[in-house]
Amino acid sequence: MAQPAIEVKDLSYSYGDILAVDDISFDVAEGEVIGFLGPNGAGKSTVVKVLTGQLTPQKGSASLMGMDIVKERKQVQQEIGISFESTNLYEQMSAVENLDLFAKLYKVSDFDAMGLLEKVGLGGREKEHVASYSKGMKQRLMMARALVSDPRMLFLDEPTDGLDPVSTETIHALIRNATKEGTTVFLTTHDMVEADKLSDRVAFLNQGRIVALDTPARLKQRFGMRALKVEVELPDGGAEEREITLDEDQTPQAVFDLFKNERILTVHSEEATLEDIFFDITGRGLQG
Amino acid sequence: MIGTLVVKDIKLFVRNRFFLIVTALGLVLYPIIYFLIPDQVDESLGMAFYIEDRESALYQRLTDEPGDYVLFDTEAEMLTALQETGDYFVGLSLPADLSAAAARGEAVELNAYYAPGVPAEARQIFHDVLVLFANAVNPETLANLTRFNETEFVLGNDLMGAPLSLRDRFVPLFLVFIVMIEIFGLATLLNRDVENGTARALITGPLRLHQFFAGKALMGLILAFGQLLFLSAVMGVLGVSTLLLLTTLLLGSFLMVGTGFFVAALAKDNTSAMAWAIVFIIPMVIPSMTVLLPGLSTGWMEIIPSYYFVDSLHRILNFGAGWADVSRNLAMLLIGGAATLAIGTTAIRRKF
Repeated sequence: MAQPAIEVKDLSYSYGDILAVDDISFDVAEGEVIGFLGPNGAGKSTVVKVLTGQLTPQKGSASLMGMDIVKERKQVQQEIGISFESTNLYEQMSAVENLDLFAKLYKVSDFDAMGLLEKVGLGGREKEHVASYSKGMKQRLMMARALVSDPRMLFLDEPTDGLDPVSTETIHALIRNATKEGTTVFLTTHDMVEADKLSDRVAFLNQGRIVALDTPARLKQRFGMRALKVEVELPDGGAEEREITLDEDQTPQAVFDLFKNERILTVHSEEATLEDIFFDITGRGLQG
Repeated sequence: MIGTLVVKDIKLFVRNRFFLIVTALGLVLYPIIYFLIPDQVDESLGMAFYIEDRESALYQRLTDEPGDYVLFDTEAEMLTALQETGDYFVGLSLPADLSAAAARGEAVELNAYYAPGVPAEARQIFHDVLVLFANAVNPETLANLTRFNETEFVLGNDLMGAPLSLRDRFVPLFLVFIVMIEIFGLATLLNRDVENGTARALITGPLRLHQFFAGKALMGLILAFGQLLFLSAVMGVLGVSTLLLLTTLLLGSFLMVGTGFFVAALAKDNTSAMAWAIVFIIPMVIPSMTVLLPGLSTGWMEIIPSYYFVDSLHRILNFGAGWADVSRNLAMLLIGGAATLAIGTTAIRRKF
């Protein structure tokens, strides 16, 4: 069996009396995109901080690419790229200078800052001080910085939080490109659509615990409800919406009867979103 | 790796308009002021006299034997000259009936006017001269005034026979001033890296925490020592006990680096970095004032670490002190720098 890229066992972390991560365990395969979902304060960023060596686990263990995150922290950090939740760039330096600095520190030979900046859509503004960049541009530059050392694993903490659709799409494309090249991606977000779109598997984190972990499709199958929404014409010329729940024994007959007896105006299929499922499981929404 | 960090930090320092202007001003203005300050000691004590009785023997004598004094025609003229020219440290107004009244044994009122800032010691000396003068007029009636104690004041280093020019006194002062701004510069850069999270990006990636701190300390040392070296060269003092002076400058820079770390540990943002830097810089400057005003020098000043920097510089540059003379000071500088650096580093670690 192949070595998991991320292996976490019984991991806990608390800030004083507040338990932020409560005894979680999970594995991530190499090249996989795992989405960690949960509302603010669920413990997502703490998991990232522990796995990237910013915090030392108080209980349990974790290894990245077979290396213990405590004992071999520096080796682990040489192999990962991180895009932090809050912007932390040298604002009085240009984008090229920011990237060149990290390339030099990582000792990357023949580093092509311009090429990387083109990739993240910052070509043409590479010599401006970062202070003049918009939030989206800064986020893209953070993403580029995470890629400087060509890491085997990327940790992306809320990479598209508060960004416009264009910047969001650029970052999504970068994540997809990285995974095509075999990079393992650990994505934390509270954007369910983003997680659904990008993740091979998603983990729901609630109050520091993983309450569900599976592929988005299987989670929907397991916890969600698929339905058919049909608009029918009434005898008085009005319209009425009917809903037929799918995946039940009587579903075929109900669909048949409806189409036979009624004049159908519109038909829509509807499936549960990850947000619905999260709500079903935890009893709380993602924005709280 | 640390070299890359240092280059980056120096780049950021130079791009900060405030630091750049303040540093450039210091490097340009201090030498200009230095060369404008007189390098000769004026040992004369200018005196002004208004003597109402022009027939008196004293008036005749002062007129016949010109010295370091000027006779004025009116008391008002003398007072104006005292206040405005700064050439006289005392003015004496002698009434017309002075000699006669003194001879009769009557009380005589003499007005002595001192220029602002005349030290008490100088006033005492002048008062003694006055008493001698009164005794000469009537030794019997004024005899009681002659019972004064002769007191000799030696302030700081005894400059008898080797007075220091103002320019010489300013050298340690300028060197301390130029390096003080580095406390603020280093504290701000360090604090900004920690608070903005750029330090976190570095240490969760290519760097280890000790490398980050080493880079910052080296940057502070290079900036402080570089400026001290430049200023010393411009003021032409590098030739004085060169190795000892360089060691002192290096240890002084080290103390500033430690203090910068300490300030950064206390600061939460740029504004508080500035506030804390001022809190530390003001007392650190006080010992350098003793070079200008030796009367200020008291034992408690030795609790201020910068005292050892100022005192060493003053002794080396102005009195030709050697290694043995300042070795205790240098040790204190090393200990002070190491202690503040250790405390600052430990406190900053807790911010990560």
